Amino acid sequence: MLLALLPALLIMAAAFLLPMAGLAVESFRLFVPGRVGAAADAPFTLANYGDLLNRPFVGLFGETLRISILATLAGMLIAYPLAWHIVRRWSRRVRTLAIGLMVMLLLLSMLVRTYAIELTFGSVSIFRPTLKLLGISPNSGWYIECLVGAGLLHYIVPVATLTLLGTVQNVDPRLVEAAQSLGAPAWRAHLTVTLPLSRAGLVGAFLIGLTFSISAFVIPMVLGKGRVLFLSNSIFNRFSELADYPSGAAISIVMLVVSLLLVVAVSRLAAPRRRPA
Amino acid sequence: MSARLGDEISRVVVWAVMLLALLFLLVPLLVTTLMAFDARSYLGALPPPALSFRWFVNCFRQDALVTGLRISLALGVLAAAISSVAGAGAAIALDGAKFPGRGLLLALFVSPLVVPAVVTGFALLLALSQAGILNGFVRLLFGHVIITLPYTVRATLASLAGRDKRLVEAALVLGATEAQAFRSITLPLIRTGIVTGAIFAFAVSLDDVAVSTFLTDPTTYTLPVALVSAMRASFDLTIAAAAVLLMLVTALLIFVLDRAVGFDRLIGQGMFRT
Repeated sequence: MLLALLPALLIMAAAFLLPMAGLAVESFRLFVPGRVGAAADAPFTLANYGDLLNRPFVGLFGETLRISILATLAGMLIAYPLAWHIVRRWSRRVRTLAIGLMVMLLLLSMLVRTYAIELTFGSVSIFRPTLKLLGISPNSGWYIECLVGAGLLHYIVPVATLTLLGTVQNVDPRLVEAAQSLGAPAWRAHLTVTLPLSRAGLVGAFLIGLTFSISAFVIPMVLGKGRVLFLSNSIFNRFSELADYPSGAAISIVMLVVSLLLVVAVSRLAAPRRRPA
Repeated sequence: MSARLGDEISRVVVWAVMLLALLFLLVPLLVTTLMAFDARSYLGALPPPALSFRWFVNCFRQDALVTGLRISLALGVLAAAISSVAGAGAAIALDGAKFPGRGLLLALFVSPLVVPAVVTGFALLLALSQAGILNGFVRLLFGHVIITLPYTVRATLASLAGRDKRLVEAALVLGATEAQAFRSITLPLIRTGIVTGAIFAFAVSLDDVAVSTFLTDPTTYTLPVALVSAMRASFDLTIAAAAVLLMLVTALLIFVLDRAVGFDRLIGQGMFRT
């Protein structure tokens, strides 16, 4: 039986573990501009990481984080009421329809999503006359940032909604009814009862959205038009434009650590829920 | 503020948010579909004055897209096949045996999902270049197998967990060998899981840009890579037609998945179900 593990283990070792180890080693190699990558016997240095403390990279990191957090927050504001309505308010037929729609949007090709948003809201979009009327330039920096955020949001809403369905189901609806029968208005009952009881699920869904956003690649590349860059895009640029592999490797390691931390946070939050009550 | 008024206001706000969100999610897809049938040769305002299939025909006339599609399909099928066999094998071994480090191995097989795709792609590029593997298709195959393996392992594990173990015991009691019991009882029971994993693997492979973009060579590239470079170069509606075709592929995969698994399983782990 254990023999069946062998192919997968070989694949993991050759195509994942060894490359990751190589990446870590490369990130400490000294890079001489003009070469493609570091020399095989280049001396070790911390300079690649030191460079990341400089302004351009810190700005890049900040921009990635800022747009990701804002898009994820917007996604939560939409997904939570949506999940609540799906579970508690809508008839069986509408519920099935809504969930089917969310699954479809979840599995939709990332490329199609990106292109559709560019075609609808971008600089050559069909809404261009409307934007002009409102005095908004589709090439202004903040508009491009919004566009990248919109691309992320288009994926975060279905993911967060589907994640939150279980969370909402775990909140006893009788508690809200009790609050209301004691005289609290519905909005207040939700704010003080439903929302606090969903906290773990909300934080979990937030972190899932954030993990996705931070490592997004196509969305910022196409919608950002080179004006908005995410960390992932800068790794690709180090590779394709500068051939500075060691620096790209150092950024990769930073991204890897951030992603791992987020995933550990998600699983910590998810773990207690899995235990039977 | 009276309670009644507060409730009305919050209800209206919540409904407005949900309605706007729905429009935001669906309008871009409708616009893309509509524009793909536009008969005009330039990008004009909606709605198109006349409809035609010219952009769809154009799709299959552009060499870059046709080459990309051919390679993407070959890569998707091959990667899904390799990762289904390896993934199902690993899942069966992990499910059957209790040995130390089992949890760690499971985490290892799922870890390519956690690592950002760009990082995986870049690491593979470095390693394959150092190993002297320069063939574009082989490089892409490495990348696609590794990003699809977590899906096949997980899908098979899920179906293994859901099966009735007494059936195998019954077969063994009735005199079947371990191998016979596996072939005639376990394998048919977990077939759905393996197929689901393979479908997911194909879909993931067909949509990947972040890993593939590092591993292409000038003549070997995938459809998504070709589409992204087309998107950055110009704003030709051929891409809209390609997007509509990709949406159809997604719809087809969803249909097959729904038949195989059923989406109602997605809901309903909650305690207070209605």
